[in-house]
Amino acid sequence: MGNEILLDVQHLTHVFPLTKKIAVKAVDNISFQIVRGEIFGLVGESGSGKSTIARCVMNLYQPRNGQILYKGLDTCDPWVFRENRRMLQTTRQMIFQDSNSSLDQRMKVADIIAEPMKIQHITPPRGTCRAEAEFQMKYVGLDASYLDKYPSELSGGQRQRVAIARALAMEPELLVADEPIASLDVSIQAQIVNLFKHLQQEHGFSFLFIAHDLAMVEFLCNRVGVMYHGRLVETAPTKELFANPLHPYTKALLSAIPIPDPRRERARKLAEFRREDFLPVGELTEVSPGHFVLRNGREIS
Amino acid sequence: MSELLEVKNLSVSFFTPDGEVQAVRDVSFSLKAGEVLAIVGESGCGKSVLCKSILKLLPQTAKIKSGSIAVNGTDITHYRERDMHKLRGKLFSMVFQDPMTSLNPTMAIGAQIGEAVRAHQVNIGRDALRARVIELMSLVGIERSEERMKLYPYNFSGGMRQRAVMAIALAGNPSILFADEPTTALDVTIQAQILDLLRDIQQKLGTATVFVTHDLGVVARVADRVAVMYAGKIVETGTAEEIFYDPRHPYTWGLLRALPALSRGRDSLAAIPGMPPTLVNPPRGDAFACRNEYALAIDYEEEPPMFQITDTHYAATWLLDERAPHIELPAGGGLGGK
Amino acid sequence: MKKRNLAAYFGKKIFVFFLSVLLLSIAVFYISRLAPGDPLVSYYGDRVEKMTPEEREWAEGKLGLNDPITVQYIRWLDSAFHGDFGISYKYKMDVVEVIGSRIGNTLILGGVGFLLIFVASMLLGVLCAWHEDRLLDRVICKIGTISSCVPEFWLSLVLILIFSVTLRWLPSSGAYSIGKSGDIGDRIAHLILPLTVVVLGHLWYYAYMIRNKILEEVRADYVLLAKAKGLTKRSVMFRHCLRNVIPSYLSIMAIAVPHILGGTYVVETVFSYPGIGTLSYESARYQDYNLLMLLCLLSGILVILCNIIAQIINEQIDPRIKAQDAAETLEVGEP
Repeated sequence: MGNEILLDVQHLTHVFPLTKKIAVKAVDNISFQIVRGEIFGLVGESGSGKSTIARCVMNLYQPRNGQILYKGLDTCDPWVFRENRRMLQTTRQMIFQDSNSSLDQRMKVADIIAEPMKIQHITPPRGTCRAEAEFQMKYVGLDASYLDKYPSELSGGQRQRVAIARALAMEPELLVADEPIASLDVSIQAQIVNLFKHLQQEHGFSFLFIAHDLAMVEFLCNRVGVMYHGRLVETAPTKELFANPLHPYTKALLSAIPIPDPRRERARKLAEFRREDFLPVGELTEVSPGHFVLRNGREIS
Repeated sequence: MSELLEVKNLSVSFFTPDGEVQAVRDVSFSLKAGEVLAIVGESGCGKSVLCKSILKLLPQTAKIKSGSIAVNGTDITHYRERDMHKLRGKLFSMVFQDPMTSLNPTMAIGAQIGEAVRAHQVNIGRDALRARVIELMSLVGIERSEERMKLYPYNFSGGMRQRAVMAIALAGNPSILFADEPTTALDVTIQAQILDLLRDIQQKLGTATVFVTHDLGVVARVADRVAVMYAGKIVETGTAEEIFYDPRHPYTWGLLRALPALSRGRDSLAAIPGMPPTLVNPPRGDAFACRNEYALAIDYEEEPPMFQITDTHYAATWLLDERAPHIELPAGGGLGGK
Repeated sequence: MKKRNLAAYFGKKIFVFFLSVLLLSIAVFYISRLAPGDPLVSYYGDRVEKMTPEEREWAEGKLGLNDPITVQYIRWLDSAFHGDFGISYKYKMDVVEVIGSRIGNTLILGGVGFLLIFVASMLLGVLCAWHEDRLLDRVICKIGTISSCVPEFWLSLVLILIFSVTLRWLPSSGAYSIGKSGDIGDRIAHLILPLTVVVLGHLWYYAYMIRNKILEEVRADYVLLAKAKGLTKRSVMFRHCLRNVIPSYLSIMAIAVPHILGGTYVVETVFSYPGIGTLSYESARYQDYNLLMLLCLLSGILVILCNIIAQIINEQIDPRIKAQDAAETLEVGEP
């Protein structure tokens, strides 16, 4: 892991208009960085804005405010995007939560994996598109016999592997995964997370991993950011965050993780955190090296 | 004392165009009044189908092939719809997974709860009905119930909706409550609240509860007894302490070991390889054998029967047979009561 | 809905209505005038062939057909605003009178047909949904599909053959027997056969739609919870599923009005039923411009009006769409 900052999100704000008068701030003044080769976990509950961030980073939404610098280029600027379109579209890839809707049901697996190469007119390193697809499938642990199957013939875990193979076929430098394991079975989740870890070690890509399962995040990620109602409330290296959470919401979230041990679980008490206590103002302040907390001069003992 | 619920050798199959899917195969379990039984397993193991077949809420393609279901000594296996609807809500009741879709979006919450009350107290007066609805809403922790009665499901958050669903389920004072993954669709901070609420109510009213889940943390929090299901069969059953601190079936070992909490600092999670089998043509012998690193030759030939370990602890694995080789419990396979 | 929005809301709808009617009138005017055929034939009959060119010119001038189409249109529009829609070339009477004398018959046929279809298709749809996939449902579906494919004119002829010619139970044409225009019983006897054809022609189309909509609701998750509460199948079907289907049913039925009323044309022709169906056919065939214009306008207005009503129903009554205004309403997050 080097020190080169690959992704630099600065004061990102995105708003969804509900009616002509009312709008919802899905993402409010978010800033964080991802270093090359790092796995960054973004956690939060439903409605916290994590998916919106993922889509803004991938240029699927045009954010209302703020900058997203990828390799120093401001990707929110349409001119910059147009000039560097090819680079931006190949070196950044995304994996979605629902493999059912993110794979085209009418395409065979081989075509799904080869599609990005065809779109970008890249000659596959392994000769033909089909050979390339087979190679990528082996990498994610799928047998070549699946090449001619349709997504509806695969299980959830297998479909997600196909989505991963498709993303990796482009040898990306940044992989964004939006809740990729949430809809999978527990034992399959473990398999996919292992796969992520292994692939990341081999390829060395940076990984933005969005999830709500803190236990998996603790296992997989180098750094973690905690979101609440569109704001980033705390960011720290994983060990530090889990050992020493500072923001009251982080404490509440961590205390809510169920422990698979009857005696300890029944003795577990939840830390209280009420929505009224939260003020969406303030900036992230560095409390100790690498550990940032949202302070607004009012709370935190 | 006869058991409150007694299921013996139940087999349920779905008859689809692709063939017969044996969703539940020869399952037996019992439930005493007031206790909480958790049924753990992954998707496709048959746990939801098991509960729905007791309440007879299955689609028409499903049939109970064999076995019996007895409640309070009465055999209800062959009850028809007109007899079942009298029992539903009164004798047993169910809470479902997704509170977003469980409630009718066009009816007020108070009306939906009231409907559940009136289903079993047909002649209840308007004021008595209103009082009962308010009582139920307070029971599940929805405050300011008089004003909130008139609101619609879309006004409520996920956790609050699930509370409303629980109020509906408890309206008829059921003896048995089935909860099918009630907290899976909820945020983790709400999850514990809802689980504690269920436990509270269960203790207050003495309702026996069958909890269906795939989350072992949930099981640890609420269950008195646990049954682990795989591929349509119960593979291990025992008290919560026995299952977590002294598991005996390789699948239970696998489930516990795959938890990230037990792989801290390690390079990879101890995942169970392979996938659960499709139940169209279940394999001969133990269905878990092909993913089981401790499988014996006989596992591929004959299904293991239930072996008794203690009065309450049973596991269906050939490893418990006297002739089986002695296995060292894998590290992390049981929490050892630490 | 806020009060000040109500005026704006309806104002917009009324504006759209008038604009559509205007555009419709222009379209019909131009197309009818540009179609081949000689309008003089309907006015003068066979004498047209014997006319000299000067006589033709004079006849056209008398009817105002010499001027360019735009001028003719403006002239028509002007007099229309004053309530004068011109004279029917064939009947040589005020167009309004011609239509007025016959529209009642069509309204009875179409109106009663619509009511019967409204009620019967809902009942049939519920019946089929209740017995989903069982013998009754499958039989009805097959019969329904066949009946909706049978052409109306063929069915009319077959019914006439059976009931009028062979059995002599019912009359085969007209709205009433000569001299008995006030006799209700006689009117009803004349209505039975054409009504049967009208109803059978549309019934299954709507019944099938209702059946499918109800079944969609039946598969929803909340039905499972309703059953788990202990509700009977009947309560679930009527109090939950049907209730949720009604708003969309109403808006479909709003559009069915012009569909059914318009569909009486073939039936009227076969049964020689004196309604505006036959009138429309004649006026189009024989370039009876003024009559054609007013008839088209009337049906057009009916269609546009029903569409707007359907829109309003959809937007206002369907609580699920109302739910999307929930942003302005309160959110209950915590106990």
